[in-house]
Amino acid sequence: MNMKRILNLRIGIVLFGLLTILILFTAVSNSFAQEVAVGSATATVLTALAIASSSNIAFGNVYQGIATTIDNTDAAAGIFKVTGQVDAGISLYFQLPEYLSLSDGSSRMTVSFNSTDCSVDTTGADSPTTMNGTKGWLDGDPRSFPGAAQIGSAGTSIYLGGKVTPSLYQAAGSYSGDIILTVSYNGT
Amino acid sequence: MKKLIPDLFKNGTTSMKSIIIIITSVFVFIFEASAAVMVAPTVVFLSAQKRTDRIIVQNPSDKPSEVSIRFSYGLPLTDSLGNIKVELQDSLITDPKSATDWIQAFPRKVIVPAMGSQIIRLVARPPKDLPDGEYWTRIVVSSKETEEAAPASENLDGISTQINLIMQMAIMVKYRTGELVSNLELVDVKANSSDELIKVLLDFNNIGNVSYMGILTGTLFDADGKEISKNRVNLAVYRDMRRCLDFVKPDETYKTPYKVELFITPDGRIDVPPEDMIKGNKISYSVIVE
Repeated sequence: MNMKRILNLRIGIVLFGLLTILILFTAVSNSFAQEVAVGSATATVLTALAIASSSNIAFGNVYQGIATTIDNTDAAAGIFKVTGQVDAGISLYFQLPEYLSLSDGSSRMTVSFNSTDCSVDTTGADSPTTMNGTKGWLDGDPRSFPGAAQIGSAGTSIYLGGKVTPSLYQAAGSYSGDIILTVSYNGT
Repeated sequence: MKKLIPDLFKNGTTSMKSIIIIITSVFVFIFEASAAVMVAPTVVFLSAQKRTDRIIVQNPSDKPSEVSIRFSYGLPLTDSLGNIKVELQDSLITDPKSATDWIQAFPRKVIVPAMGSQIIRLVARPPKDLPDGEYWTRIVVSSKETEEAAPASENLDGISTQINLIMQMAIMVKYRTGELVSNLELVDVKANSSDELIKVLLDFNNIGNVSYMGILTGTLFDADGKEISKNRVNLAVYRDMRRCLDFVKPDETYKTPYKVELFITPDGRIDVPPEDMIKGNKISYSVIVE
C-alpha cells in the first residue's frame, strides 16, 4: 500500500513538473510573441565594399640577364576585383614597388610598370585574356586611374601587368615585393 | 527581444521603435579569391552623442588574412576636367576639419581566419570646444594574406619571384557636433559637345558646415523635348568641387540644340541610413549644349 502511495506521489510530482514547464514555456513564448507583435522595426540594408585578388602577377622563375614581361591582358596578369554598391563611383590607387628583394635585403631586382600596364574591366569578368576596349578602360596607367571609375553590376576587375629585369649578375634566391591597391568610395 | 537581435548589430540606444541597421554581405565571389577583404558599412557617423561605433571586417577567402587598421585624411578632390579621386594623407595634416588625430580604432592589427569576421571598434575623443560642424577622417583597412615565403626556384642557382598583393579600403568617418547645416551652391555649369561625348561640367560650393550628400541626375533632351539619355551619380561635396557628367552623343535623328536638365537632391541615397542624412537643399538647373 505504501509502495502504491509513493508511486502515485512520484507520478503526481512528475505531472506537476511537466505542467509547470508547459506553463512557463507558454508564458515565455507569449512574452516573445507580444514583444515581436507590438514592436515595429525598420531595416536599412547597407552594402559593403570588398576587394579580392584571385590571381597574382606570375613572373615565376626568371633568368639572369633576361627580362620577363607580363601584359595586363595575359593570363599571368594580376587580377583584383572590387565589389560593392553597383554604379557607385570609386577611387583606385596603386602603390607599386621599384624592386623585388631577397628576404635578407642583400640583393634587389628591378620591377617596373609602364603607362599601359593596367586595365579596368567594369563587367567584372576576371578574365584578362578577353579584355577589350568595350569593357572599360584598356591599357591605362596604373599610377593614374580614370576619374569616372565605377563598380559594375558584377563588380569591377583590375588587371595588372609588369616587367622584371634580372641583371646579368643577379644573385640566385627568392625575391619578393608588395603591391598595394587602395579603394575608396568617392560619393560618401 | 534582446535575444532576437545579435549583439553584432545592437547599438546601445537601439529599441524596437528605432531603426535597426542590418549589415549584410551581399557579395558572391564568382571566382576563387586567394585573398580578399570586405568592410561594412562604407561610411561611419559619430557624434557628440554617439562617440563610439564599429565596423565589420570579413575575410571571405579560404586563407587567413592579416588585417591592419590606421587613419588617413583624404577628401574627394577633382581636377579641371571634373575627374574625381581620393588622395590619402598620413602625416602633416593641417586641415582643422581633420579628425584623424582624435579618432581611434581597436584592435589595430588582427589575423582574420578564413571565412571569418572581426569587429573593429571606433572611439572619438574630440578636443574641447570644437566648433559646430562635421569633422572627417578615413579608416584604412589593409589586408594581406598571412606571410608566405617566396617559392623556391626549382634550380638551386635559380631566381624565383613572389608579389604580395595588399588590399586597402579607405572608409569615410564623419564626426558631427552642434548645429548642423547642409547647403550646396551651384556656382557654374557648362555643357560642351565633342565628336563622341556631351560633357557637362558643374562647379559646386559647399556653404554648409557638413558635407553635402545627395544624388546628381542629368537628363539629355533633344530640341523637341524628347528624352535621349540619363546619367546619375552619388554626390559628396566637402568644399569646392567640379563634377563631370558624360553623355554619349546622340545620332543625327535627334534635333539640336540639345538640352541637359540637372537635378540635385539629398533624397534617394540607399547607401546611407536615413537617420544619418543631414538633408540639404535641392537644386534644379537647365543648360543648352554648345
